Amino acid sequence: MLENFSFRTIVEYLPLFGQGLVTTVWLSALSFVGALVVGIVLCAMNLQRGWLFRAPAKAYIDAVRATPLLAQLYFLYFGLPRVGFVLPELVVGILALSLNSGAYIAEIIRAGILSIPRGQVEASVASGMTYAQRMRLVVLPQAFKVTIPPLLGQAIVLVKDSALLSLISVAELTRAGQLLASDRFMPAEGFLTIAAFYLLLYYGLKGLAVVSSRWLGSAGARA
Amino acid sequence: MTANPKGPANMTQPNPTKTGMIDFRGVNKWFGALNVLKDITLSVKPREVVVVCGPSGSGKSTLIRCINGLETIRDGDLVVDGQRVGDPATNMTQLRTEIGFVFQSFNLYPHKTALENVTLAPIHVRKIPRAEAEHAGRELLAKVGLADKVNAYPAQLSGGQQQRVAIARCLGMRPKIMLFDEPTSALDPEMISEVLDVMVAVAEEGMTMMVVTHEMGFARKVAQRVVFMDAGAIVESGTPDEFFSHPKTDRSRAFLSKILRH
Repeated sequence: MLENFSFRTIVEYLPLFGQGLVTTVWLSALSFVGALVVGIVLCAMNLQRGWLFRAPAKAYIDAVRATPLLAQLYFLYFGLPRVGFVLPELVVGILALSLNSGAYIAEIIRAGILSIPRGQVEASVASGMTYAQRMRLVVLPQAFKVTIPPLLGQAIVLVKDSALLSLISVAELTRAGQLLASDRFMPAEGFLTIAAFYLLLYYGLKGLAVVSSRWLGSAGARA
Repeated sequence: MTANPKGPANMTQPNPTKTGMIDFRGVNKWFGALNVLKDITLSVKPREVVVVCGPSGSGKSTLIRCINGLETIRDGDLVVDGQRVGDPATNMTQLRTEIGFVFQSFNLYPHKTALENVTLAPIHVRKIPRAEAEHAGRELLAKVGLADKVNAYPAQLSGGQQQRVAIARCLGMRPKIMLFDEPTSALDPEMISEVLDVMVAVAEEGMTMMVVTHEMGFARKVAQRVVFMDAGAIVESGTPDEFFSHPKTDRSRAFLSKILRH
Protein backbone atom coordinates (compact mmCIF):
# COMPACT_ATOMS: atom_id res chain seq x y z
CA MET A 1 0.00 0.00 0.00
CA LEU A 2 2.71 2.41 1.01
CA GLU A 3 4.49 2.19 -2.36
CA ASN A 4 1.59 4.21 -3.75
CA PHE A 5 1.56 6.57 -0.77
CA SER A 6 2.84 9.95 -1.88
CA PHE A 7 4.77 11.48 1.00
CA ARG A 8 6.11 13.98 -1.49
CA THR A 9 2.61 15.40 -2.02
CA ILE A 10 2.02 15.57 1.71
CA VAL A 11 5.22 17.54 2.14
CA GLU A 12 4.16 19.74 -0.72
CA TYR A 13 0.85 20.43 1.02
CA LEU A 14 2.37 20.87 4.48
CA PRO A 15 2.02 24.68 4.50
CA LEU A 16 -1.70 24.23 3.83
CA PHE A 17 -2.00 21.67 6.61
CA GLY A 18 -0.05 24.03 8.87
CA GLN A 19 -2.50 26.84 8.19
CA GLY A 20 -5.41 24.48 8.73
CA LEU A 21 -3.93 23.29 12.01
CA VAL A 22 -3.46 26.85 13.25
CA THR A 23 -7.03 27.72 12.27
CA THR A 24 -8.40 24.61 13.99
CA VAL A 25 -6.47 25.47 17.17
CA TRP A 26 -7.58 29.06 17.48
CA LEU A 27 -11.16 28.55 16.38
CA SER A 28 -11.47 25.64 18.82
CA ALA A 29 -9.97 27.75 21.59
CA LEU A 30 -12.36 30.59 20.84
CA SER A 31 -15.32 28.20 20.62
CA PHE A 32 -14.33 26.65 23.94
CA VAL A 33 -14.29 30.05 25.63
CA GLY A 34 -17.68 30.77 24.05
CA ALA A 35 -18.94 27.37 25.19
CA LEU A 36 -17.77 28.09 28.75
CA VAL A 37 -19.74 31.34 28.76
CA VAL A 38 -22.84 29.63 27.32
CA GLY A 39 -22.39 26.74 29.78
CA ILE A 40 -22.02 28.95 32.85
CA VAL A 41 -25.09 30.99 31.93
CA LEU A 42 -27.18 27.87 31.19
CA CYS A 43 -25.99 26.22 34.39
CA ALA A 44 -26.84 29.30 36.46
CA MET A 45 -30.32 29.32 34.90
CA ASN A 46 -30.70 25.59 35.48
CA LEU A 47 -29.85 25.89 39.18
CA GLN A 48 -32.57 28.46 39.87
CA ARG A 49 -35.55 27.40 41.91
CA GLY A 50 -38.16 29.05 39.67
CA TRP A 51 -39.30 27.55 36.40
CA LEU A 52 -38.96 30.85 34.56
CA PHE A 53 -35.23 30.38 33.98
CA ARG A 54 -34.92 26.66 34.52
CA ALA A 55 -37.43 25.51 31.89
CA PRO A 56 -35.82 27.30 28.90
CA ALA A 57 -32.35 26.16 30.00
CA LYS A 58 -33.49 22.55 30.26
CA ALA A 59 -35.28 22.73 26.91
CA TYR A 60 -32.20 24.17 25.24
CA ILE A 61 -29.86 21.57 26.73
CA ASP A 62 -32.19 18.75 25.67
CA ALA A 63 -32.59 20.13 22.15
CA VAL A 64 -28.85 20.45 21.63
CA ARG A 65 -28.03 17.06 23.08
CA ALA A 66 -30.78 15.31 21.12
CA THR A 67 -29.85 16.63 17.66
CA PRO A 68 -26.73 16.10 15.53
CA LEU A 69 -24.17 18.88 15.47
CA LEU A 70 -24.29 18.80 11.68
CA ALA A 71 -28.02 19.63 11.76
CA GLN A 72 -27.34 22.47 14.21
CA LEU A 73 -24.55 23.79 12.03
CA TYR A 74 -26.71 23.80 8.90
CA PHE A 75 -29.60 25.25 10.87
CA LEU A 76 -27.44 28.27 11.72
CA TYR A 77 -25.64 28.41 8.38
CA PHE A 78 -28.79 28.41 6.27
CA GLY A 79 -31.20 29.75 8.88
CA LEU A 80 -29.44 32.89 10.07
CA PRO A 81 -29.33 34.58 6.63
CA ARG A 82 -33.09 34.01 6.34
CA VAL A 83 -33.69 36.13 9.42
CA GLY A 84 -31.29 38.79 8.22
CA PHE A 85 -27.97 37.74 9.77
CA VAL A 86 -25.41 37.16 7.06
CA LEU A 87 -22.26 36.17 8.93
CA PRO A 88 -18.92 34.86 7.67
CA GLU A 89 -18.65 31.05 7.67
CA LEU A 90 -16.00 31.16 10.38
CA VAL A 91 -18.25 33.14 12.71
CA VAL A 92 -21.17 30.78 12.09
CA GLY A 93 -18.86 27.85 12.79
CA ILE A 94 -17.57 29.25 16.09
CA LEU A 95 -21.12 30.14 17.07
CA ALA A 96 -22.36 26.62 16.35
CA LEU A 97 -19.54 24.97 18.29
CA SER A 98 -20.01 27.34 21.24
CA LEU A 99 -23.77 26.81 21.38
CA ASN A 100 -23.38 23.05 21.02
CA SER A 101 -20.55 22.49 23.48
CA GLY A 102 -22.10 24.99 25.90
CA ALA A 103 -25.02 22.64 26.49
CA TYR A 104 -22.68 19.81 27.48
CA ILE A 105 -20.51 22.11 29.59
CA ALA A 106 -23.61 23.37 31.44
CA GLU A 107 -24.26 19.80 32.57
CA ILE A 108 -20.61 19.22 33.49
CA ILE A 109 -20.55 22.34 35.68
CA ARG A 110 -23.92 21.47 37.20
CA ALA A 111 -22.69 18.00 38.12
CA GLY A 112 -19.59 19.59 39.68
CA ILE A 113 -21.64 21.97 41.81
CA LEU A 114 -24.12 19.28 42.85
CA SER A 115 -21.24 17.00 43.86
CA ILE A 116 -20.36 19.38 46.71
CA PRO A 117 -21.80 17.90 49.92
CA ARG A 118 -24.79 19.67 51.46
CA GLY A 119 -22.82 20.16 54.68
CA GLN A 120 -20.44 22.54 52.91
CA VAL A 121 -23.32 24.82 52.00
CA GLU A 122 -24.81 24.54 55.49
CA ALA A 123 -21.49 25.39 57.15
CA SER A 124 -21.09 28.49 55.01
CA VAL A 125 -24.73 29.51 55.52
CA ALA A 126 -24.31 29.09 59.28
CA SER A 127 -21.27 31.37 59.26
CA GLY A 128 -23.33 34.18 57.77
CA MET A 129 -22.09 34.10 54.19
CA THR A 130 -24.31 35.45 51.43
CA TYR A 131 -25.21 33.31 48.41
CA ALA A 132 -22.48 34.98 46.35
CA GLN A 133 -19.85 34.46 49.06
CA ARG A 134 -20.83 30.80 49.45
CA MET A 135 -20.48 30.21 45.75
CA ARG A 136 -17.22 32.13 45.39
CA LEU A 137 -15.43 30.96 48.53
CA VAL A 138 -16.75 27.47 49.19
CA VAL A 139 -18.74 25.81 46.40
CA LEU A 140 -17.08 26.90 43.15
CA PRO A 141 -13.44 26.34 44.22
CA GLN A 142 -14.34 22.77 45.14
CA ALA A 143 -16.57 22.24 42.09
CA PHE A 144 -13.79 23.62 39.86
CA LYS A 145 -11.45 20.79 40.81
CA VAL A 146 -13.89 18.02 39.96
CA THR A 147 -14.91 19.83 36.78
CA ILE A 148 -11.48 20.24 35.16
CA PRO A 149 -11.01 16.66 33.87
CA PRO A 150 -14.46 16.39 32.20
CA LEU A 151 -14.06 19.91 30.79
CA LEU A 152 -10.81 18.89 29.11
CA GLY A 153 -12.62 15.83 27.77
CA GLN A 154 -15.23 18.15 26.31
CA ALA A 155 -12.43 20.28 24.81
CA ILE A 156 -11.11 17.19 23.01
CA VAL A 157 -14.59 16.47 21.65
CA LEU A 158 -14.89 20.07 20.52
CA VAL A 159 -11.61 19.94 18.57
CA LYS A 160 -12.79 16.85 16.71
CA ASP A 161 -16.25 18.36 16.15
CA SER A 162 -14.62 21.38 14.53
CA ALA A 163 -13.88 19.11 11.55
CA LEU A 164 -17.53 19.57 10.56
CA LEU A 165 -16.84 23.22 9.81
CA SER A 166 -15.05 22.01 6.67
CA LEU A 167 -18.58 21.42 5.31
CA ILE A 168 -19.32 25.13 5.36
CA SER A 169 -15.87 25.75 3.77
CA VAL A 170 -14.02 27.04 6.80
CA ALA A 171 -10.33 26.62 5.97
CA GLU A 172 -9.45 24.46 8.95
CA LEU A 173 -7.51 21.20 9.19
CA THR A 174 -10.08 18.84 7.70
CA ARG A 175 -10.66 21.27 4.83
CA ALA A 176 -6.93 21.07 4.04
CA GLY A 177 -7.24 17.28 3.85
CA GLN A 178 -10.26 17.57 1.60
CA LEU A 179 -8.41 19.90 -0.73
CA LEU A 180 -5.54 17.46 -1.11
CA ALA A 181 -8.04 14.66 -1.64
CA SER A 182 -9.96 16.47 -4.36
CA ASP A 183 -7.11 18.39 -6.09
CA ARG A 184 -4.82 15.39 -6.45
CA PHE A 185 -7.29 12.53 -5.94
CA MET A 186 -5.32 11.45 -2.88
CA PRO A 187 -7.89 10.93 -0.11
CA ALA A 188 -5.64 8.51 1.80
CA GLU A 189 -2.81 11.01 1.99
CA GLY A 190 -5.14 13.88 2.85
CA PHE A 191 -7.15 12.23 5.58
CA LEU A 192 -4.32 10.24 7.14
CA THR A 193 -2.33 13.44 7.49
CA ILE A 194 -5.13 15.29 9.22
CA ALA A 195 -5.73 12.28 11.44
CA ALA A 196 -2.09 12.52 12.52
CA PHE A 197 -2.53 16.22 13.30
CA TYR A 198 -5.71 15.57 15.32
CA LEU A 199 -3.82 12.91 17.26
CA LEU A 200 -1.17 15.53 17.99
CA LEU A 201 -3.81 17.96 19.29
CA TYR A 202 -5.36 15.16 21.36
CA TYR A 203 -2.06 14.38 23.08
CA GLY A 204 -1.53 18.08 23.68
CA LEU A 205 -4.85 18.39 25.50
CA LYS A 206 -4.34 15.12 27.32
CA GLY A 207 -0.95 16.36 28.54
CA LEU A 208 -2.70 19.49 29.78
CA ALA A 209 -5.19 17.31 31.67
CA VAL A 210 -2.39 15.35 33.35
CA VAL A 211 -0.50 18.51 34.31
CA SER A 212 -3.63 20.19 35.65
CA SER A 213 -4.73 17.19 37.69
CA ARG A 214 -1.26 16.97 39.22
CA TRP A 215 -1.38 20.68 39.99
CA LEU A 216 -4.90 20.38 41.46
CA GLY A 217 -3.89 17.35 43.46
CA SER A 218 -1.12 19.26 45.20
CA ALA A 219 -3.21 22.34 45.82
CA GLY A 220 -4.97 21.15 48.94
CA ALA A 221 -5.80 17.62 49.92
CA ARG A 222 -9.39 16.53 49.47
CA ALA A 223 -11.39 14.93 52.22
CA MET B 1 -10.10 41.42 67.64
CA THR B 2 -12.05 44.65 67.46
CA ALA B 3 -15.69 45.07 68.41
CA ASN B 4 -18.10 43.39 66.03
CA PRO B 5 -19.24 45.63 63.22
CA LYS B 6 -22.97 45.96 63.54
CA GLY B 7 -25.26 45.62 60.55
CA PRO B 8 -28.45 47.60 60.18
CA ALA B 9 -30.48 44.72 61.61
CA ASN B 10 -29.02 45.41 65.04
CA MET B 11 -30.45 48.91 64.98
CA THR B 12 -33.97 47.56 65.25
CA GLN B 13 -35.51 47.64 68.68
CA PRO B 14 -35.19 44.42 70.60
CA ASN B 15 -38.43 42.59 71.11
CA PRO B 16 -40.03 44.18 74.19
CA THR B 17 -41.18 40.82 75.49
CA LYS B 18 -37.65 39.42 75.23
CA THR B 19 -36.74 37.27 78.17
CA GLY B 20 -33.90 35.09 76.91
CA MET B 21 -31.16 34.82 74.35
CA ILE B 22 -33.16 32.11 72.58
CA ASP B 23 -36.95 32.04 72.97
CA PHE B 24 -39.19 29.39 71.47
CA ARG B 25 -42.87 30.20 71.95
CA GLY B 26 -45.34 27.65 70.66
CA VAL B 27 -43.14 26.64 67.76
CA ASN B 28 -44.44 24.02 65.33
CA LYS B 29 -42.77 22.46 62.35
CA TRP B 30 -43.90 19.84 59.87
CA PHE B 31 -42.01 17.73 57.36
CA GLY B 32 -44.94 16.98 55.08
CA ALA B 33 -47.54 15.39 57.32
CA LEU B 34 -45.04 14.69 60.08
CA ASN B 35 -45.22 17.10 63.01
CA VAL B 36 -41.47 17.19 63.83
CA LEU B 37 -41.67 20.00 66.38
CA LYS B 38 -44.77 20.09 68.54
CA ASP B 39 -45.63 23.30 70.33
CA ILE B 40 -42.13 23.93 71.58
CA THR B 41 -41.76 26.55 74.30
CA LEU B 42 -38.27 26.99 75.67
CA SER B 43 -36.22 29.93 76.82
CA VAL B 44 -32.44 29.95 77.07
CA LYS B 45 -30.93 32.76 79.13
CA PRO B 46 -27.66 34.47 78.25
CA ARG B 47 -24.65 32.42 79.44
CA GLU B 48 -26.86 29.39 80.02
CA VAL B 49 -25.82 25.94 78.79
CA VAL B 50 -28.71 23.70 77.80
CA VAL B 51 -28.23 20.07 76.81
CA VAL B 52 -30.87 18.55 74.54
CA CYS B 53 -31.23 14.79 74.49
CA GLY B 54 -33.72 12.23 73.33
CA PRO B 55 -34.09 9.25 71.05
CA SER B 56 -33.15 9.35 67.39
CA GLY B 57 -35.75 11.19 65.35
CA SER B 58 -37.16 13.06 68.33
CA GLY B 59 -36.51 16.46 66.73
CA LYS B 60 -33.43 17.57 68.73
CA SER B 61 -31.35 18.48 65.69
CA THR B 62 -34.30 20.12 63.98
CA LEU B 63 -34.86 22.18 67.12
CA ILE B 64 -31.42 23.75 67.12
CA ARG B 65 -31.26 24.01 63.32
CA CYS B 66 -34.31 26.30 63.50
CA ILE B 67 -32.36 28.77 65.65
CA ASN B 68 -30.07 29.86 62.83
CA GLY B 69 -32.63 29.29 60.12
CA LEU B 70 -31.17 26.11 58.62
CA GLU B 71 -34.74 24.88 59.09
CA THR B 72 -37.83 27.07 58.85
CA ILE B 73 -40.72 26.97 61.31
CA ARG B 74 -44.37 26.75 60.40
CA ASP B 75 -45.89 28.72 63.26
CA GLY B 76 -45.11 30.09 66.66
CA ASP B 77 -42.42 32.59 67.56
CA LEU B 78 -38.70 32.05 67.70
CA VAL B 79 -36.77 35.07 68.95
CA VAL B 80 -32.98 34.90 68.97
CA ASP B 81 -30.88 37.73 70.36
CA GLY B 82 -33.93 39.99 70.20
CA GLN B 83 -34.67 39.22 66.55
CA ARG B 84 -37.52 37.17 65.21
CA VAL B 85 -36.27 34.25 63.10
CA GLY B 86 -38.08 33.98 59.78
CA ASP B 87 -39.44 37.52 59.99
CA PRO B 88 -38.82 39.30 56.65
CA ALA B 89 -37.54 42.29 58.68
CA THR B 90 -34.82 40.15 60.25
CA ASN B 91 -31.50 40.05 58.47
CA MET B 92 -30.82 36.33 58.84
CA THR B 93 -27.34 36.58 57.33
CA GLN B 94 -26.42 39.11 60.00
CA LEU B 95 -28.09 37.13 62.79
CA ARG B 96 -26.17 34.00 61.75
CA THR B 97 -22.87 35.77 62.34
CA GLU B 98 -23.83 35.85 66.04
CA ILE B 99 -24.55 32.11 66.14
CA GLY B 100 -21.85 29.47 65.85
CA PHE B 101 -23.00 26.05 64.65
CA VAL B 102 -20.96 22.88 65.13
CA PHE B 103 -22.05 19.95 62.96
CA GLN B 104 -21.90 16.25 63.68
CA SER B 105 -19.89 15.73 60.47
CA PHE B 106 -17.59 18.77 61.08
CA ASN B 107 -18.16 20.17 57.56
CA LEU B 108 -14.75 21.79 57.38
CA TYR B 109 -13.85 23.26 54.01
CA PRO B 110 -11.57 20.59 52.49
CA HIS B 111 -9.82 23.03 50.14
CA LYS B 112 -8.75 25.30 52.99
CA THR B 113 -6.13 24.81 55.72
CA ALA B 114 -7.14 24.76 59.38
CA LEU B 115 -6.20 28.43 59.71
CA GLU B 116 -8.05 29.37 56.51
CA ASN B 117 -11.12 27.52 57.77
CA VAL B 118 -11.03 29.65 60.90
CA THR B 119 -10.35 32.99 59.16
CA LEU B 120 -12.58 32.66 56.07
CA ALA B 121 -15.82 34.03 57.55
CA PRO B 122 -14.15 36.63 59.83
CA ILE B 123 -12.35 38.08 56.80
CA HIS B 124 -15.22 37.95 54.31
CA VAL B 125 -18.27 38.26 56.52
CA ARG B 126 -17.03 40.28 59.52
CA LYS B 127 -14.62 42.23 57.25
CA ILE B 128 -11.79 41.92 59.75
CA PRO B 129 -8.37 42.72 58.22
CA ARG B 130 -6.56 39.54 57.16
CA ALA B 131 -3.53 39.98 59.45
CA GLU B 132 -5.74 40.54 62.45
CA ALA B 133 -7.99 37.59 61.59
CA GLU B 134 -4.97 35.32 61.13
CA HIS B 135 -3.51 36.39 64.46
CA ALA B 136 -6.82 35.66 66.19
CA GLY B 137 -7.14 32.41 64.23
CA ARG B 138 -3.75 31.16 65.39
CA GLU B 139 -4.67 31.98 68.99
CA LEU B 140 -7.95 30.10 68.67
CA LEU B 141 -6.28 27.06 67.15
CA ALA B 142 -3.74 27.14 69.99
CA LYS B 143 -6.62 27.34 72.44
CA VAL B 144 -8.17 24.16 71.05
CA GLY B 145 -4.73 22.49 71.19
CA LEU B 146 -3.91 22.62 67.48
CA ALA B 147 -1.17 25.24 67.34
CA ASP B 148 0.96 22.81 65.31
CA LYS B 149 -1.81 22.14 62.76
CA VAL B 150 -2.52 25.63 61.44
CA ASN B 151 -1.36 24.74 57.93
CA ALA B 152 -2.85 21.23 57.83
CA TYR B 153 -5.75 20.43 55.52
CA PRO B 154 -8.85 18.75 57.03
CA ALA B 155 -8.04 15.45 55.32
CA GLN B 156 -4.74 15.39 57.22
CA LEU B 157 -6.49 15.70 60.60
CA SER B 158 -8.20 13.12 62.79
CA GLY B 159 -11.92 13.41 63.49
CA GLY B 160 -11.35 14.92 66.90
CA GLN B 161 -8.90 17.43 65.48
CA GLN B 162 -11.32 18.35 62.70
CA GLN B 163 -14.10 18.95 65.19
CA ARG B 164 -11.83 21.16 67.30
CA VAL B 165 -10.99 23.19 64.18
CA ALA B 166 -14.74 23.44 63.52
CA ILE B 167 -15.29 24.82 67.03
CA ALA B 168 -12.43 27.30 66.54
CA ARG B 169 -13.98 28.27 63.20
CA CYS B 170 -17.20 29.23 65.02
CA LEU B 171 -15.38 31.04 67.82
CA GLY B 172 -13.50 33.09 65.22
CA MET B 173 -16.76 34.91 64.52
CA ARG B 174 -17.04 35.93 68.18
CA PRO B 175 -20.58 34.59 68.38
CA LYS B 176 -23.05 35.24 71.20
CA ILE B 177 -24.51 31.75 70.93
CA MET B 178 -22.95 28.38 70.13
CA LEU B 179 -25.07 25.48 68.91
CA PHE B 180 -23.71 21.94 68.83
CA ASP B 181 -25.49 19.21 66.84
CA GLU B 182 -24.23 15.87 68.20
CA PRO B 183 -20.62 17.09 68.04
CA THR B 184 -19.07 13.84 69.26
CA SER B 185 -21.37 11.26 67.63
CA ALA B 186 -19.14 10.78 64.58
CA LEU B 187 -15.96 10.39 66.62
CA ASP B 188 -13.99 7.38 67.72
CA PRO B 189 -14.31 6.94 71.50
CA GLU B 190 -10.76 8.03 72.28
CA MET B 191 -11.32 11.36 70.53
CA ILE B 192 -14.53 12.32 72.31
CA SER B 193 -12.91 13.74 75.42
CA GLU B 194 -10.59 16.10 73.54
CA VAL B 195 -13.64 17.69 71.92
CA LEU B 196 -15.68 17.75 75.13
CA ASP B 197 -12.77 19.42 76.96
CA VAL B 198 -12.83 22.26 74.43
CA MET B 199 -16.61 22.56 74.78
CA VAL B 200 -16.31 22.70 78.58
CA ALA B 201 -13.74 25.49 78.23
CA VAL B 202 -16.09 27.43 75.93
CA ALA B 203 -18.96 26.96 78.39
CA GLU B 204 -16.86 28.11 81.31
CA GLU B 205 -16.09 31.34 79.48
CA GLY B 206 -19.78 32.17 79.67
CA MET B 207 -20.99 31.26 76.18
CA THR B 208 -24.71 30.73 75.68
CA MET B 209 -24.87 27.15 74.42
CA MET B 210 -27.38 24.59 73.24
CA VAL B 211 -25.86 21.17 72.85
CA VAL B 212 -27.54 18.12 71.37
CA THR B 213 -25.64 15.27 72.97
CA HIS B 214 -25.93 12.14 75.05
CA GLU B 215 -22.66 12.82 76.86
CA MET B 216 -23.89 12.85 80.42
CA GLY B 217 -20.50 13.69 81.89
CA PHE B 218 -20.50 16.88 79.87
CA ALA B 219 -24.09 17.67 80.86
CA ARG B 220 -23.40 17.18 84.55
CA LYS B 221 -20.26 19.27 84.38
CA VAL B 222 -21.47 22.39 82.59
CA ALA B 223 -25.19 22.27 81.78
CA GLN B 224 -27.66 24.23 83.86
CA ARG B 225 -30.50 22.38 82.26
CA VAL B 226 -31.23 19.18 80.39
CA VAL B 227 -34.15 19.11 77.98
CA PHE B 228 -35.52 15.71 77.00
CA MET B 229 -37.38 15.44 73.72
CA ASP B 230 -39.46 12.63 72.30
CA ALA B 231 -41.54 12.54 69.11
CA GLY B 232 -41.07 16.26 68.47
CA ALA B 233 -42.13 17.50 71.89
CA ILE B 234 -40.27 18.56 75.00
CA VAL B 235 -41.23 15.88 77.51
CA GLU B 236 -39.14 16.87 80.46
CA SER B 237 -36.67 19.51 81.49
CA GLY B 238 -34.62 19.97 84.63
CA THR B 239 -31.16 20.23 86.10
CA PRO B 240 -28.76 17.48 85.03
CA ASP B 241 -28.92 15.97 88.48
CA GLU B 242 -32.72 15.93 88.56
CA PHE B 243 -32.94 14.51 85.08
CA PHE B 244 -30.30 11.82 85.24
CA SER B 245 -30.92 10.73 88.84
CA HIS B 246 -34.68 11.22 89.13
CA PRO B 247 -36.30 11.21 85.69
CA LYS B 248 -39.98 12.07 86.04
CA THR B 249 -41.56 10.39 83.04
CA ASP B 250 -41.68 6.81 81.81
CA ARG B 251 -40.30 7.85 78.45
CA SER B 252 -37.24 9.55 79.92
CA ARG B 253 -36.67 6.58 82.25
CA ALA B 254 -36.86 4.19 79.30
CA PHE B 255 -34.46 6.38 77.32
CA LEU B 256 -31.98 6.70 80.16
CA SER B 257 -32.04 2.98 80.86
CA LYS B 258 -30.95 2.43 77.25
CA ILE B 259 -28.10 4.93 77.19
CA LEU B 260 -26.92 3.99 80.68
CA ARG B 261 -26.93 0.25 80.19
CA HIS B 262 -23.42 0.07 78.80
